[in-house]
This record gives sequence, C-alpha cells and structure tokens, in this order.
Amino acid sequence: MSTFEIDTTINGRPVRHSVDARKTLAVMLRDDFQLTGTHIGCKTGNCGACTVELDGATVKSCCVMAAESDGSEVTTIEQLSQGGELHPMQEAFSHNQALQCGFCTPGMIMSACALLKTKSEPTEEEIRLGLKGNLCRCTGYDKIIKAVQQASKDAPSGNPDVTSAAPLEATALNG
Amino acid sequence: MVNVGKPIKGMNNDRLVAGGGSFVADVQPRGVATMVVLRSPHPNARIKSIDTSQAQAVEGVIYVLTPSEIRENTNPIPEAINTRALGAQYAPWYALCVERARYVGEAVAAVLAEDEATALAARDLIEVDYELLPVVPNAEVALAEGAPLVEPGWTDNVLIRQKLVTGDPEQALRDAAGTVSGRIKSARIQASPIETRGVVASWDQHRKRLTCWSSTQAPHVLRTYLAEAMRLSENDVRVIQPDVGGAFGIKCPTTQEEVLTSYMAKRTQRTVRWIEDRQEHLLAAGHARDVEAEYTAAFSSDGAITSLQMRMVADVGAPIALAGWGMAYVTWLCVPGPYKIANLETELIAVVTNKSPWQAYRGYGKDTASFFLDRVIEHVAKEAGLPSSVVRHRNFIPSNEFPFMQPTGAILDSGNYAGTLDQLLEKLDFEGFAARKAEARRQGKYIGIGLGQELTPEGFCMPGSLYAGYEASTVRVTPGGDVSVLTGVTSPGTGNETGIAQIVADALGCSLNRIRVTQGDTDSCPMGSGNYSSRSLMLGGSAAHLAALEIRKQMTTVAASMLGVSADTVSIIEDVFSSTEAPEARVTFSEVVQQVYLFPHGKHMDNTDPGLDTTKSFKIGNVYHQPEVDGKFNGYPTWSNASSGAIVEVDPETGVVKVEKFVLIHDCGPIVNPLLAEAQLQGAITQGIGSTLYEFVAYDDEAQPITRSFMDYTMVTSQEAVDIEVGHQNTPSPFTPLGTKGVGESGVGSPPGAITAAIEDALSDLDVRLTELPVTPSRLWTAIQAAKTNVMAEVAQVPEKEMV
Repeated sequence: MSTFEIDTTINGRPVRHSVDARKTLAVMLRDDFQLTGTHIGCKTGNCGACTVELDGATVKSCCVMAAESDGSEVTTIEQLSQGGELHPMQEAFSHNQALQCGFCTPGMIMSACALLKTKSEPTEEEIRLGLKGNLCRCTGYDKIIKAVQQASKDAPSGNPDVTSAAPLEATALNG
Repeated sequence: MVNVGKPIKGMNNDRLVAGGGSFVADVQPRGVATMVVLRSPHPNARIKSIDTSQAQAVEGVIYVLTPSEIRENTNPIPEAINTRALGAQYAPWYALCVERARYVGEAVAAVLAEDEATALAARDLIEVDYELLPVVPNAEVALAEGAPLVEPGWTDNVLIRQKLVTGDPEQALRDAAGTVSGRIKSARIQASPIETRGVVASWDQHRKRLTCWSSTQAPHVLRTYLAEAMRLSENDVRVIQPDVGGAFGIKCPTTQEEVLTSYMAKRTQRTVRWIEDRQEHLLAAGHARDVEAEYTAAFSSDGAITSLQMRMVADVGAPIALAGWGMAYVTWLCVPGPYKIANLETELIAVVTNKSPWQAYRGYGKDTASFFLDRVIEHVAKEAGLPSSVVRHRNFIPSNEFPFMQPTGAILDSGNYAGTLDQLLEKLDFEGFAARKAEARRQGKYIGIGLGQELTPEGFCMPGSLYAGYEASTVRVTPGGDVSVLTGVTSPGTGNETGIAQIVADALGCSLNRIRVTQGDTDSCPMGSGNYSSRSLMLGGSAAHLAALEIRKQMTTVAASMLGVSADTVSIIEDVFSSTEAPEARVTFSEVVQQVYLFPHGKHMDNTDPGLDTTKSFKIGNVYHQPEVDGKFNGYPTWSNASSGAIVEVDPETGVVKVEKFVLIHDCGPIVNPLLAEAQLQGAITQGIGSTLYEFVAYDDEAQPITRSFMDYTMVTSQEAVDIEVGHQNTPSPFTPLGTKGVGESGVGSPPGAITAAIEDALSDLDVRLTELPVTPSRLWTAIQAAKTNVMAEVAQVPEKEMV
C-alpha cells in the first residue's frame, strides 16, 4: 500500500497525515478523521451528499483523491456549527423542515452556503441552479429553497466561520 | 389537543443539519473489516465452479465466502410474504446463489479484507466458471409457448395469477353506448434513497451473540428472519437500526447482504462492514412497477362506466424472498379503486424473468392501479365527450356507502372522493383554464391541465407473515419526570417519532419537551413490524396513545389523592393537575411522579399500581384475514385518498414537458403534524413526477441492465422541482383512536395520470394518446410526429370541396 504525506488544513486545524494513496477525500475525512457528517451516496459525483469546501470552492469529495488536498484547506459540515451553535443556514434548514432523512442535508447545506457567498440574495432560479448538483429524494426541494431564501434574508453572508484551532489527531480506522 | 395538529419541526432536525446523524456507514467499531460482494455479470447462468485461491492469497484478505458454504451452513432467507399460502410458486433464496445466478447483480461470492481497496482488488481475482443459460428478458418472452423457465422446477414462469369476474361484463359491452380499449404500461423504476443499503455485524464470541446494525425499516422482523437464516435463537441476535438515509420500502428485510454480513462476522469472528455502492444498489436492491395492462371499458352516455375488463401483466424479475412481488397483487386488489363498477373482469399475471427482482417501493402497487384507472377514465371521457371530472363524479363510490367492499375483497373504510375533487377543481380554477389556454396559445405556448385520482390503502396487514400488522409501544416515566417512548415502529427519515411524541404529550397532558422517542433496537423496543405501508403513526402512534392514557390514569389517581378530590374531577394540562372540586388546588406532573417512585407504599398510592411503565399493543379493525374461507382477504384497514391536478407546458418542437403547477387535495383524516405531513406529500409527489417524466431502469434484449449510476437513473433535481400546493380534507377513519390514516405513500400515485392528461390537453389539436411511462422528450416527440402524420392523413382524405 503506497501512502502520501500530506499537509492539509481541515476545519481550520493544520494536520500532517500519511494517507493511503487509494483513498478519496471523502473516505479520508470519514474514516481517518471521523468527520462522518460528509456522506457518500453515489461515488460518481452525481448526488452531492459528499460536498465539502476545498480552498473556498465546493467539491464532490468522493471524486477528489485525498492526496490532492495536500496544501489545501478543507471545510466540512462539522465546521459550521462550532460550540453547539447552528450556522444560520443550518438553523434555516431545521426551522423550515428542509430535510427528512438528513442524509443529503450536510452536502446540500455546504452548496447553499457556497451559493450565498457568491450571491447574497439569490433569486429562486439562482437557488435552483446553485443546488442542482445535490440530490434529495425526500423533500421535493420546496422547503429547501424556502430555507435558503430565509437564510439569505437573515444572514446575507453564508460564509462559514473558519477559525483556527488545535491540530486534529488522525486516528487509524483499524488501530 | 395542545400538540396534535401543530406544525412542529422534526425532533432530529438540529442534529441532522449539524452533520450529527449516525447512519450505518458511520458505525465504525474498532477493527472493523470491509466486505464486498461479487455479483453475477450474467442474467442466467449455472455456476460450474469457483476458484478463490488467488483472491485468498492477497495480503490483507481475511476470508472469501462461496455459495457451497452458505448452502451448507445457513437456511434459505425466510419469505416476507408466504408465497404458498397465497397459491404462488416458491423458490428458495440463499444469501449467495447456490446453483444459478438468475439476474445480473445476484450475489455470487463475498470477500472480507482489512480495507475496502484490498477487498475490491481481491474480488477481481475470483474466477467463476459460468455456463450461460437461455435468458427470459421480459414478460412477453416469459409467457410465450415453450419459453425457457426462470425456475426449472416450476410449471411455468407465472409466480401468481389472480382472476376475478363479477357481474356480466360481456353483456354490459353489448348494451353500452360506447366502449374504449387500449394498452398502458408503467416503467420499471427504483426507490433510490440517497443512502444505499448497508450492514455492520459483530459477533461476540463469549456471549455467542450477534449484533447487526442495518439500514433497515423493520429491526424486529429482521431479527427473527436473520435468526432463522443463521440457525440462531432470536435471543442471540440484536438488531439495531441507526439513522436511515431514506428507505421508501427498499429497506424492508431480509436481504442477501444482511445474512451474508452477519454470517461473515460469525464465521471470521471479526466485525464486518458492508456498504453498498450505487451501481450495486441499482442492480441488486430491487425494482418496482413495470406492469402492462390491456383494458376494455363500456360506458353509458352520461359517463357511467358499466363494465371494466383489465388484464395486467407484471414483470416482477427473478423470484426471491423479499416482499416486492406483492406490489403486483396490490395493483390487482386496487382495481377499480375509488369507482363503483358493477361488471368487472380483472386478471393479474405476475411473471418472473431474468431481471433484478422487485422490492417494495412507496406506493406498493397502488400507484400503478391509480395510473391505469386514470388513463381509462380519460379515455372514456374523451370518447363520451365529457370532462373527465364529470366521469369521475359519475363513478365515485358515494360517500354514504362506506365501509364499501370492492369485488376483490378490499374493504374501503371511509372516504369522500367527490369532496377532494370539488376542492381541487376550485383551487385549480378548472373552469377558467380554457381561457388561459387559449391566451397562451395566442402567444405560441402549449399549456394543458389534467386530473388524477388516487386511492392509497395504508397499514398493510399480511396474513402468515411478520408483517401481519399489530403494533406495540411503551410509555415510561422516569423518577426525574422524563418520558421515554419506545416503539416497534421506526422512522427511516419520515418524522413519525415527532408525531408520536405529540400524541403522547397530549394523551399524558405533559409538555412536549419531556418526551424522547426511542426506536429501532430489538433489545430495548417492544416488538413490532417496523416502518412500511404508512403505518407508523397510525398503528405505532395508536399503541403509544393507549399506553400514555393508561399512565395518565395512574397519575390522575395519585394526583386526586394528593389534591384530596375524586379522580373523575381531575384534569391535566401542560404538566399541571387540577380539579373542578377544588379549583385553587394544583399539583404538578413532577410532584406526582415523585410520589409514585419515592413513596410507593404511601397513602396516595393505595389505589394504583406502582411504577409508571406501560406497554400497549394496538390491533386495528377492518382487517379480514381469512382467505381460506372465500379466497379473499382485506389487509388494508384505512384507505387514504386524494385528487390531484397538473398544469403543464409542452414544447412540441422538442417534446420537453415542464410541470408549472401541481395541486393535491389529500384526505388522511385528522393530521397530527401538518408540517411533516405536507413535507411527506411534497416528497411523494416529486417522486411521482419523476416516475412520470424522467425515471426508468433500462435493460437490453438480453436482460443486461443499462442503468448503472445516477447519470442513467435521472431523478428530479432542484431544477425540475415543481411548485406543489397541498390541501386537505378530513374524513376520519372509524378504526383508529384519533381517526388517523396513513400519509406516507399518498402523492406518488396520481402524478402520472394527472400529468399525462395535462400533456394530452396541451396538445389537444393533435389527439396525442400517451400510453407508456415515463413520458421522455423522445417518446413524446415521437408521439407528436405520429399524431401529426395522422392529422395530415385525415386531412388528405377529406374531399377538396369540404376543406373550403
């Protein structure tokens, strides 16, 4: 098994990590750092449940190799609600019942936050376009669109608050 | 009612939006090893030999499991529906296919390795020597004279045949003012939750006990069936349902992989994880629908349908132990649905083929019956020259005739079908639409309106099965005054835990925030059949209601003693007991709880049992389980219904359809949580729209599946999502304590009928007839070209002088 040594910043914390060359970013986040809020639904980049932010842009982390995150900053859903306080976008999803099973929700919220970063008050059409890479099988999207509209009114900047903190310890899955 | 009827957000929302869900793939015990499954690439092949030596030799591989070992050490997977009790043909199904692979995707072998990449690499090194057998790719071939048999031991390729004749359909045809005939087909589709299936299994070698975490809908059912397949006692199996990322029926037990993962854990003494990938899910988790119907209907000049003949052929794929094929039976059971038709001849032929088997999907066959009946109604309306709303009204079962028994044995509990339709027509401004359509046409736009009707029986109670249909719930008050509710039903993302908490809070008279609902653990929850058939709130909620009432009675007795009044004068609202006998006196919920636990031998406890812990079971009425008497049974206690309408715009140049608006007027009796009910309906309608316009699982002529990822299986995205409006009517069920009926499956059945009718209306100049789902752009474009050709041909036949 070949490995790569990578220096990555995950949720504001710098980490040095030896990663299996075959692992995707999604698998590394989930298995090596227990950041299980990032979900894997298709492994083909279609469903968007694994959406995270990589250097400020959203990516489908199932289609990015872990090693590619070397030298980059990665932000996951866990970073949005630090100290138990929900991010305004999370609050809006919860309040509007913009979720049912909750499996697609973290990826959907990451895409919604990225959308508000580029456009603070998007139109309904722009929201639909901004979320089209994230599939939801439960809701029919109506309440999701409403949640994003509410979040854009309540908190014009959907920018997740990325603060630095102590380095994360990588934990081997099969330790 | 303080809480019931309120739009309260889901109790798990805050956790799930924070990424704090614990789905099965998040269950990561120390030392967990990964299992992958080798699946058949052939639709029908005998397994001559399997060589696992190269795979076994790969570093990091723990074990390779083959069919012979499974055949020797496990029993067939128990059937979800007892085929032989219903006169259907049976085929044993093991965790790996023991002699033949009968569809592409059937499990052939399994590899356990320290990590997924190693397991996948080793899987490629397994050598299977297959002998290819003749393929049955579809129902037509399956029913042909001299067709190869999917199951060599069977007499033919028919799993079950149901036939019903009532009245005299032939005579009605001769007497009719008009008749229509046609052929219609629903597409093969899949539930496709965003979370695939997954299992983690762990064997405790000291206790000799299995713990199985599965993304399942029914943990107790899985426990019993897993124990049976694994040759264990039920005491030695614990099933835990973690958070489930959507299910919609496809996660009803028991699957090959649940047995396979559990067996692997026991065999290797390792904790084993199997997480399905999307291609596996599309190939092996199971499909739905794919039913073709031929019909003839006779009608009188006022639109009354005097007879209906319908022959339905369902391609249920290869025969297995899952409950999917039952959907074909339910389609047959639900004809003629909400309509009263005196002369009826219906036939169902459920055919096995070398396609992936059926597995339950939201709607469970009711959807297909709704679509077929909607198409027949539209056809009759067109021929009779009447609006379809008039034909529907003319044929509805009158609301004063419930409970109403259909000839199939279905007993419809209650309903007011005319009521939902009238409300819909008003909301759609149906009368005013012609003017809108004409105006749009002047602007070069083709818009149309169409109606759909659905009957959605809920709470299926299947005789001879663990889905037989009662439910149990426990309500327990702790010494600190917390209320814990444990149920046999589960919530794979549907929100019933919140609704059940609302019901319990009102029944107890306590505040909602005292309550926590625990579901999905066979070691702690009372036995029940889990989540399916929109039954959780209706049956599990009713059981919780009864248990909470008993606790309330106990607490009221104690409170009355503390207040020095008689119990029948005591009431409790929001945690406070008071009495009409002593209007100023108060005692709180917590004070009463403390009396119960701290002074069980005290004077206030003289007239009641100690402790506050009650389990109640609820068995619903209107279920008739004696098919041996007259060959009929009614498994559905409540029958929700809805009327729906779609407004669409069609681009005749491309065949692209845009649904502008969808309205559904629904009747499930009183609603416990309007926010969650609306959310369910919006999601279901969106799935129904997907099945109408976008979704299908494609196979080639050799039964090779073409649909292998979300690039091929195209579901509704935020771009196509439709403006949906939901309205309600309240016709309570006479058979549940709160009058509730099921809601979870309503909304999927009527979009196909409403949207196809709306498309035809938009193209009314052309007389397009849509008969097959989904209505893709290419299919519609082809229909438009054919209709144009017909119009041209008709024009060509008109003598010149008449064209002036």
